[in-house]
Amino acid sequence: MNHAAKSGTPLRNLVRVAALLSVLVAFALLPLSLKSYGVYLCTLFCVYLMVIYGLNLTVGYAGQMSLGQAAFFGIGAYIAATMLKTGAPFYAVLLLATLACFVIGLVLGFPALRVQHHYLAFTTLGFNVLAFLVMRNEEKLTGGTYGISGIPRPSLFGWSMDGALPFFWFTLFHTVALIAALWWLLRSPWGRAFAALRDNPIRAESLGINITAYTLLAFAIGAACAGFGGVFFAALVQFIEPAPFHLSASLMMLLSVIVGGSGRFFGPVLGTVMIVLLPEWLRFMQNWYLGAFGVAVVALMIWLPGGILSINERLRIGRGTR
Amino acid sequence: MSGFLDVAGLHKSYGAINAVCGVSFSLEPGQILGVIGPNGSGKTTLFNSILGQIRPTAGRVSLCGEDVTGMAPLKLTRRGVGRTFQTLQVFVKLSVRDNLIAAAQEFRGSLAGRLFARPDAGLGEQADRMIEMFRLRQVAALPAGSLSYGQQKLIDIAMAFMATPRLVLLDEPCAGVNPGLVEQLHDLLLELNRTQGGSFVVIEHNMDFVMKLCPRVICMVEGRILAEGSPGEVQSDSAVLDAYLGN
Repeated sequence: MNHAAKSGTPLRNLVRVAALLSVLVAFALLPLSLKSYGVYLCTLFCVYLMVIYGLNLTVGYAGQMSLGQAAFFGIGAYIAATMLKTGAPFYAVLLLATLACFVIGLVLGFPALRVQHHYLAFTTLGFNVLAFLVMRNEEKLTGGTYGISGIPRPSLFGWSMDGALPFFWFTLFHTVALIAALWWLLRSPWGRAFAALRDNPIRAESLGINITAYTLLAFAIGAACAGFGGVFFAALVQFIEPAPFHLSASLMMLLSVIVGGSGRFFGPVLGTVMIVLLPEWLRFMQNWYLGAFGVAVVALMIWLPGGILSINERLRIGRGTR
Repeated sequence: MSGFLDVAGLHKSYGAINAVCGVSFSLEPGQILGVIGPNGSGKTTLFNSILGQIRPTAGRVSLCGEDVTGMAPLKLTRRGVGRTFQTLQVFVKLSVRDNLIAAAQEFRGSLAGRLFARPDAGLGEQADRMIEMFRLRQVAALPAGSLSYGQQKLIDIAMAFMATPRLVLLDEPCAGVNPGLVEQLHDLLLELNRTQGGSFVVIEHNMDFVMKLCPRVICMVEGRILAEGSPGEVQSDSAVLDAYLGN
């Protein structure tokens, strides 16, 4: 091991942690200066972060294509909406929705054992379409296109989360906890096994890596994150209907993973900025917004196919070839 | 036969084509066996049949007396069987060190246990020893995919030995490797054979390498064993010379 690099590592890590904490504190305080719509957007940003971090694990780290993330997001949201309205405790609902999505994700992982790449994309796409149809047509269960309204927000030890700010901090806390859990998971031998599965499944199997188990786990954990986020989404908007869980939402989620940097830990942060905050920042463009968005994505994919976070590597290669 | 690895009457056909045809051999613990033969003689199919990558049409493969014919590669790996492939097979985005750790971490504890294990799964020191042995210290932290072909070949081979397997099947370890590295590979394999005590089966086209490394060699032609014996015996076998020189 390089001793110079070894001695520099603790200091570099300290700087990184300090920078991360500063950003986090700044973001936690940001809504104090915002109007209620701004606070709503910040909370929505946290919710989508949970979902997209889960998808980044499935797609970016484990290399499994998924176009069904919005379906899991919806399943979590509908479970939450139905149960919270009956007065069930928030954490029981959170646990149940996460577990339900974990199990369904596990089942959806089985096709991935037989098909890969675009075939798998279409399999998961089919699942999203199916889930959307159930949400839209099973009125007794989901309220159909009328949706479910009046979803209560949780209260914790008598502390109500009804206000926009308390609910933002509540959601931010759980987002950070989920991301920290994923960071720990990806640093464990599981993370290395996921990467091995993504890079070379045949070699992985020849080295004793149980590719069946890790493929199923990659789907299940990614789905569980979406279900987890779905619960907060239901409590945030307090009214859900099928539209946010359409296939187009899954496509946007996948796009945000790729744009941020697939398989890069902080990629989902930039990706989520793109799908949640960018539309707001580009509002001044009115009808030109979608065109500008499309051009930006095409340009990005040509120049930075590895996502925004691959910019350092891109610049290094650029300098090397000059 | 009652060796460490026994292959008896192994047969693999694809329709009318017999890729492997009644191959039998036995391997003792710690022994190094070379497998030579022209392209298309069935060497890699033999490997894949032994390792469960493909199911043989007929025949039997036993490991320490246990019938492992057609056993899934994952199960076979857990019985201490490692392999390398004809083409490079590394995890391109993982660092060299992580490639080595990934090669052995699944033998440590249960699946759930590994979730709570140390990030290096307790294999950091072993990986560092392997890195030193294969002279990869300067590139240990770099992604394997960013290295030269020769360096990736070394990683590929080092990975096969990380879990201290009892049997390793090496498929053309010298393919695409410069002469200097061939020498290094020869020395490394001998050292691993001495220190780890495993048995090796080596497919190789580099005759000098095989003849120096393997005390016993089999020559395959058209799916059959044409000759078997010491390197000198096989080299002087007229049928082998005919097969190679096309007489």
